[in-house]
Formats: sequence, C-alpha cells, structure tokens
Amino acid sequence: MGTPFSKLKAGAKTAPVRDVVGMVLGAGFQQGVPAVRLARKNGVDELVAGGFLELPGTLPVTPDDANAMPVGNWQVPRAFRAPHIAFAIHSEQAFLRQSPETGEKGDPHMRSVSRATAPDLPPLTVGLPEFQAAWAARLFPEGRRPTACSIQVAATAAISGFLHNPAFRKSGGNAVAMLVFPAYTALAAFQDSLLVLYREHPVGFRHVREAVSSKMRVDEAMADSVLDDTMVDLIPMIEPVLRPLFRQLEISVDYLARRRDCPVEAFFIYGLPTGFRYWSSLFKRILGQTPVFCRPLDSLAGSPSAALPGTHPLAASYTGQLFMAALGAAFAVLDDNA
Amino acid sequence: MNTSFHFNLIKEEEMLSPSPVRLRVMLPVLSLLLVAALAVWWMLALTRTHAANQKLMAVKIDIDSLRLSHQTILALRAEEKELAASLRQMGFYTNSLVRFSEALCRLPEHVPADIQITELYVPQPAPPPAPPPKPGVPAATAPTSTFERVSLRLAGRAGGGAPADAINSLLADLRKPAFASLIVRASVPPGAFRQEVARGTGNHNTLLFEIQCECSPRRFE
Repeated sequence: MGTPFSKLKAGAKTAPVRDVVGMVLGAGFQQGVPAVRLARKNGVDELVAGGFLELPGTLPVTPDDANAMPVGNWQVPRAFRAPHIAFAIHSEQAFLRQSPETGEKGDPHMRSVSRATAPDLPPLTVGLPEFQAAWAARLFPEGRRPTACSIQVAATAAISGFLHNPAFRKSGGNAVAMLVFPAYTALAAFQDSLLVLYREHPVGFRHVREAVSSKMRVDEAMADSVLDDTMVDLIPMIEPVLRPLFRQLEISVDYLARRRDCPVEAFFIYGLPTGFRYWSSLFKRILGQTPVFCRPLDSLAGSPSAALPGTHPLAASYTGQLFMAALGAAFAVLDDNA
Repeated sequence: MNTSFHFNLIKEEEMLSPSPVRLRVMLPVLSLLLVAALAVWWMLALTRTHAANQKLMAVKIDIDSLRLSHQTILALRAEEKELAASLRQMGFYTNSLVRFSEALCRLPEHVPADIQITELYVPQPAPPPAPPPKPGVPAATAPTSTFERVSLRLAGRAGGGAPADAINSLLADLRKPAFASLIVRASVPPGAFRQEVARGTGNHNTLLFEIQCECSPRRFE
C-alpha cells in the first residue's frame, strides 16, 4: 500500500487563495506574456503588479513538443511572486461549448470540465488537450512562488474578468458581450447576469488588422496605428470582415428575444485593443445599438491601486486590452475562494 | 448554482506547494529522524544498562571475595574492643587503689603507750544500693556504680591511769593531717567503749575500744 503523502500536499491547498497571479499562455503577443498579480484584502481587489513578462509563452502544439520543452524552471520578477498562479491558455485545440453531449469527456487526450451556468440550459463544457494542461501545470517548480493553482481556457477567464466590469454590473444583467481575441470573438449572452448563450466566431482583431494591412499595404504596426487614427475611413475595408460577426450576433440576439424571452438591454465590447470607433460604427449600422467599450482595468475601479500612469501597460489603450484573460484568470481564482 | 465562472482544468495532484518547506518531504524526513533518534536513545540506554549490569556483577564478585576478610576483620575488631575494655577496666582498678601503707607505717608513732592495737580490719565494702528500676529497662546484673566506700576499723585496748584520754589522743591524731591522705573521718561508734572483763577483776581500768575510720572512697575512673 502506497503512502498517501500526495494527500498532505493537497491538504495544504485548503487555505483560501487571496493573492494570485494571472498569466496568459499561447497568445503570441509581441510585447511578451501578460501577467497581473491581484490580492483581495477586506473584499477589495488590489492590483499588486502588472506587465508583460519575458517568458517563452509559446504553447506546445503536440505532445512531443510538450516533452521537448523544458519545464519546472520558470521564474517571475519579485513583484509577481504571489503564492499561486492561474493560467489562461489560448489554444486552437481547446474548446468551450454549450452542449448536452460532452463527448470529449471520454477522450483520454482531452482534459475537460462541465458545469451548468443557468438552471434550464445544457452545461458549458471546457476542454484542453491533456499534454498542454500537464505542460502548463509543470512550468513553475514546487517550493518556490508561484505555483500553478488554476488552468483555464482564455475565453472562460475573460468572462470571469468581464463579470467584474462595473458597466456590466450596472446594467440590468440582460446583456451581450463581445470578447475580442486575436483570432476569434466570443459572444457571451447573459440573462439576469447568468450566462445563457456562448458562441465563438472566427474573426478576431488580428483579422481586422490584417485586412487593413493588406488593403492599405502597410505593416501590422502601422495598421494598428491607422485603426486609431481618424484621417482615413476604414469602414469599407473592415465591414466585410466584421459583418459576418455582427450578423451572427444579430441572430443570437433574435434567439434570445424569441426563445428565451430575454431582450438584450446592453452590448459590450471587451478586449479590443484598437479600432473601436469602426467596430462601434458598424455595430450601430447593422444592429442599431451602441456598444459599450470596456477595458480590463475598469474591473479594478474603486481600488487605489488601479490609478496607473498612462504609460503603464495596463493603462495604455492598446496593450491594456491584452490583459483581459490574465486579469480574468486571477479574478476567477479569487471569486472561487471568496 | 455556482455563480463563479472558474472552470479549472488543473488536477489536484498537479497543485504544488509554493512553500520551501514541503510537508510531504519534511514529514517522512522528520519521521525518519525521530525513529533514528529513538534508535540511538534506545542503543544508549541499552549500552548503559549493560555497563551497569557488568559493574553490578563485578561489585557482587568483589563483595563475595571480601566477605571472609570482612568477617575476620569484624571478629578482630570485636576482640580488640573486648581487650581494650579489659585494659580500661584494669586501668580503673589501678587508679582506684587505696594506699594504706604510708598511713599504717606512720600509725605506731601516734599510738600512745597505754594503748594496744589488737585488730586492724578493712571490711569488705557493702554493695551500693541498686538504682531504682526503670520501667522497660531490665535490671543490671553487674555493678553499675564506679564509687566504693572504704573503711578501716581499729580495735584495741587501753590501760593505764587514763585510758579514755589515751583513746581520745589516738582519735585526735587520726584526725590530723598526717592521716588526711587516707582517713576522711574517724570516730568511736556508740557502744564501742566497754570495760574488759575477760582478764579478771583486777583490770577494771582497761577499756576495749573501736575506732571506725571512713577512708577516701575508691573511684573506678
């Protein structure tokens, strides 16, 4: 009979997590790996540290890649050394869907979790390849801060962060959020603040940037700059990219109104680093509504630590949005331990 | 319904402790150290017990080997005590000697011509009275006093013209310092004067007398 020493280790985890780092893996941002450290004291969430870390945030694509990549030797700067770390993983092989059939659960190569988000809806199932989850869990060594306590897919992490957005909290709870990622946009519909619909559309801000870049024949950095500029009207270039997304959103809104008796009262765009003006304009033209622009840092409104200088990566208009999943991953852990 | 949106894909066994002191490592190590310490303590206790037993055995052998000599020494010491007590007792007897010779040699010079000493007797001293018995203490079988009275009895006859004066003169001389070393008190006991009748009727002036002298006591010290 084996000695269950591993249970001792698990027992040590029973203490609630009040201080955690959220980190994004696999996003492939040029600035580095987004990471934030949040601490909850007396019910107030404080931003202890935030920034892009120089870490190899590339995700292994195959099990062989995972075996070849060194693990157990990652370290973070002193300001980020919370006891635990929560990962938000961007993986093309991950899935997040509402489905009564959770076929992936039987797949030994996939690690999945299912949970109902609303009483009368099929459960939401989240899955990640086993080798990617196991690789992420081993990145930080034991006996040194931080160690992994949570692995989430980027979309669920972003939703966790969005739930803390003050604009959403002030709304009636019947709302649709567009969580804009580089390669896709997640549509999350809420009824009474409960998630009732989740869809992914394969258009992200990277596609908009590429469209502008190719049409204007400028590099991507310049395209980002142009998207924030008012000198050129980019609507003709962007509309073909975004129209299917907004059409999908329109269908979803119609579904909510007719099938769930849930008239959408507010629309939010979250995680969009650039070009909001064009997204908003097209949105208004197609859906007749004005979306609310959300930033990750808004979720920390009320905390003195959120008063950051404009040059801080979290406060900057472009890079601040790239922390959406990192902040959400940390919020999810803190909420789970509340 | 859990409102938390935390879909955590990490397994419980993958959650590692950030503490540099790892309980799952330290507990077995501490357990082993405790067992080792107990083993060392037990070994030390065993060694000490063994050494104590060996010492006990050696002491027992020594005691056995010395037992005969010890008994001999005890017997010799008892004999020595007995002999020392005898010597001491003999010393007491030596110290308690009452020397009559000087006084008796001097006595003829003080005896008047009309007195004839017929008897000079040192009686056996009467045993001293036994001390009152104490409850619970058995009566002593041997004399317990170190003090013994000594007396000297002189008997004689006095004649002449004034025999009584002659007797009084002798009595007075016996009380003089010349005899003080021996005689403490001298007296004529009542009834000790009497007329001698045994020698015929013509000697009506001859008196028989006795003088009782109390001498210095013998002290067995």
